[in-house]
Amino acid sequence: MSDAGIWLAAIGTLAIFSFLYRDNPAYRAAEQILVGLSVGYLVVITVRTTLVPKVALPILDGDPWGIVAAVWVLLMWTRVSTRAGWLSRLPLAVIVGAGAGLSIPAMLKARVLSQLGAVIRPEIDVNAVVGAIGVLATLSYFYFTRPPTGAFRVAARTGTWFLMVFFGATFGYTIMSRLSLLIGRTEFLLGDWLGLL
Amino acid sequence: MNLAQIDRRWIFVIVFLAVALPLLFPIGLVGEVSPRTQTMHDLIEALPRGATVIISFDCEAASWPEIGPVAEALVEHTMQRGIRIIGTSFLSEGTALGFELLSRHADAADYVQGRDWVYLGFRPQYVAAILGLGESITQEYPRDYINQPSEDHTLLGAVRSYRDVALVISIADDTMPQYWIEYAGARYGVKIAAGLSAVMVTTFTPYLDSGQLQALIGGLKGAAEYERLLGREGAGSRGMDAQSSAHLAIIVLVIIGNVAYFRGRGRS
Amino acid sequence: MVGVFGFAMLIQYFVPHPLGRVLYGRVLEWMQVIFAAGLVLGGATYAMSHLRTVSGRREGWIYSLLALAALTLMLAAGLIGGIDRGTLFLWLFNNLQAPLQQTVFSLLAFFVASAAYRGFRARNIDAALLLIVALVVMLGRIPIGEMTGPFLPDLARWLVDVPAVAAKRGILIGIGLGSVAVALRVMLGIERAWLGGRR
Repeated sequence: MSDAGIWLAAIGTLAIFSFLYRDNPAYRAAEQILVGLSVGYLVVITVRTTLVPKVALPILDGDPWGIVAAVWVLLMWTRVSTRAGWLSRLPLAVIVGAGAGLSIPAMLKARVLSQLGAVIRPEIDVNAVVGAIGVLATLSYFYFTRPPTGAFRVAARTGTWFLMVFFGATFGYTIMSRLSLLIGRTEFLLGDWLGLL
Repeated sequence: MNLAQIDRRWIFVIVFLAVALPLLFPIGLVGEVSPRTQTMHDLIEALPRGATVIISFDCEAASWPEIGPVAEALVEHTMQRGIRIIGTSFLSEGTALGFELLSRHADAADYVQGRDWVYLGFRPQYVAAILGLGESITQEYPRDYINQPSEDHTLLGAVRSYRDVALVISIADDTMPQYWIEYAGARYGVKIAAGLSAVMVTTFTPYLDSGQLQALIGGLKGAAEYERLLGREGAGSRGMDAQSSAHLAIIVLVIIGNVAYFRGRGRS
Repeated sequence: MVGVFGFAMLIQYFVPHPLGRVLYGRVLEWMQVIFAAGLVLGGATYAMSHLRTVSGRREGWIYSLLALAALTLMLAAGLIGGIDRGTLFLWLFNNLQAPLQQTVFSLLAFFVASAAYRGFRARNIDAALLLIVALVVMLGRIPIGEMTGPFLPDLARWLVDVPAVAAKRGILIGIGLGSVAVALRVMLGIERAWLGGRR
C-alpha cells in the first residue's frame, strides 16, 4: 500500500467506525461510496472476465455460438423495457430449469445419500450412537406432517437440544469470525497507518 | 447502576480495548496445532511435486482479514512444495484478492506464469462454472484473468480437466465449498479441501466427517496453527493475543449480563 | 422451457450421449452468460435509481451523487485502464473498496458483543444449553483456553464434531430432500414463484 492509499483507507475506516458513536454524514458518504465502487467493480469484472471472452470475442472470431450467447444477453436486458420485458423470462427459464435439473442428482448423491451413509458406520462407539440419535432426533423435529405426541414428541424434543448445541457452537464461531475482522482493521489502523505496531 | 441498561457504546469501548491492547503489547500466544490443521498440512505435504491444485478464492473482501491469512498460509505451503496452481474465483471480490495474493507469492517463489501457475479469475453462476471445469478447463475459461488465451499456457496444455487436478482448495467465507463437493466432488471425483472463515466451520464439519471434504482449516486460529507448522509468524499468529482477550471480554460480558438478569428476576 | 432444460440436464447425467454432452456444455455456458447479463443489468438499474434521485434533487441526492461518482470512477478505471496489477482499478479496490467493506463487517464485532451482553440469557434449558456451548467453543478455540489443559479444547472439539454434526446432518438431509422436491415442482411447472409478480 502506498502512503496515499494508507491515508485513503484510514479515512474511510474511521468514517465507517464513526457509526459506532451515532449515524452521521461521514458514515453515510463512505457507505454510498462503498456501494458505488462495489457495483462498478462487479460490472467491470463480469464484463472483462465473462462477457468479453464468452460473447464478444467469439462473435469477432465468427463463432455462431457467440451470436446465440449474445441473443441470451439481449433477451435478459429486455427486462428494462415495459413492453418487451416478458422476453427476459426466456433466459431466466434456462437458468431456473437447468439449475433444477442439475441440482437433483447432486443433492441426492452428495447431500442426502452421502450424509445418510455417514450415519451408518462400521464401527459402533459412543460417538456413532450419539450421532445417529442426533440425526434422527433433528429430522423428527423438522417433521411437521404429524403432531408431536408420545415417543415422537420425545424425539423432537431431543432434536431441539442437538440443534441448540449446533447453534451454540455456530454462535461461538461467529463471534470468533467477527472479532477476527475487527482485529484486522485495528491492526491496520495501529500498524499500517499510525506505525505503532 | 442498572447493568442491563448500560449505554452500548461502553461495550464498544471494552471490545475495542480488548482487541487493541494485546496488539500494542503482545505476549505471543499461538496455541496448539489442532488435528484438523495438521490434516490439511499433511494433505498438501503428501501431494507429489509438480501436481496441480485448483485454489478458488470464493470469498468477499469483507472477510479477508480473517480468511486472507488462511489463504496466505495455504498458497505459501503449496508453492514451497513445488505444486502448480490454477487460480479461480466464484465470488467477484475474491477475484482481485486472489490475483494479488497469487502474483505476490509467485514473485517470491519464482513461479513462472503460464507454466507453474495461471490465474483464470471470475465466473458468475458457480454451479455451471464448477461443472464446466470438469468438461474442459480451457473451454470454460478461453481467456485467463488478464485476457491472455488459456491455450497459450503450457500448464493448461497438460491439465485439461479435474482428471488432471490433484486437489481443489476453496478459500471460502460462505457455502461455496458445498457446491464444489456436490458438483465437482460427487460428479467428477476430484478431492476437495476448504480454508474457511470460522463462522462456516460447523456447516462443513459433516462433510469432513463423511469424507466428502478431505481437510478444512477455519478462521484466524486455523491460520495461526498453519503458520506454526510452516515455522513462521504471520497475521494469524499476531492476532491470537487479541482474539483471546476479546473472547474473554465477551465471555465476561455475557456472564455479567446473566448475573444482572437473574438478580433482577429474583427481585421481581 | 423450464421443464425442457430441467429434464435435459437431469437425463444427461444418467445418459452420457455425445449430443447430450454438446448440449450440456452449451447450456452451462449460457447459464453463465445469462447470469453475467443479469449482473450488468443490476448495475444499470442501480445507476438509474441514483440518477433519478440526483436529477429530481430528492432527499439525500448528494449521497446518490457520491455513489454515482464512485461507480463511474470504478467503471472507467476498469473498462479503460484494465484490471491487471498496477492499474487504478486494483488500487481503488485495495485502498478504498476492500478496507471500507472490511470495516463495515468488523462493526458486527461490536454489535454482536453488545447483543450477547443484552440478549444472551439462560432463560430456559434450551437457551442455557446454547449459551454454555457457545462459551465452551469460544474458550476452547483460543490459546488461553488451551493453556487451561486439554479438557476445554477437547470438549469444544467433541461438541462441534459429534452433536453439532448430527444436528447439521439432519438439517442437510432435510434440506436435500426438500430441494429435490422443489426442483421437481419447478421442472413440472407447479412452482412458478421464480417468474415474479402475483402467482
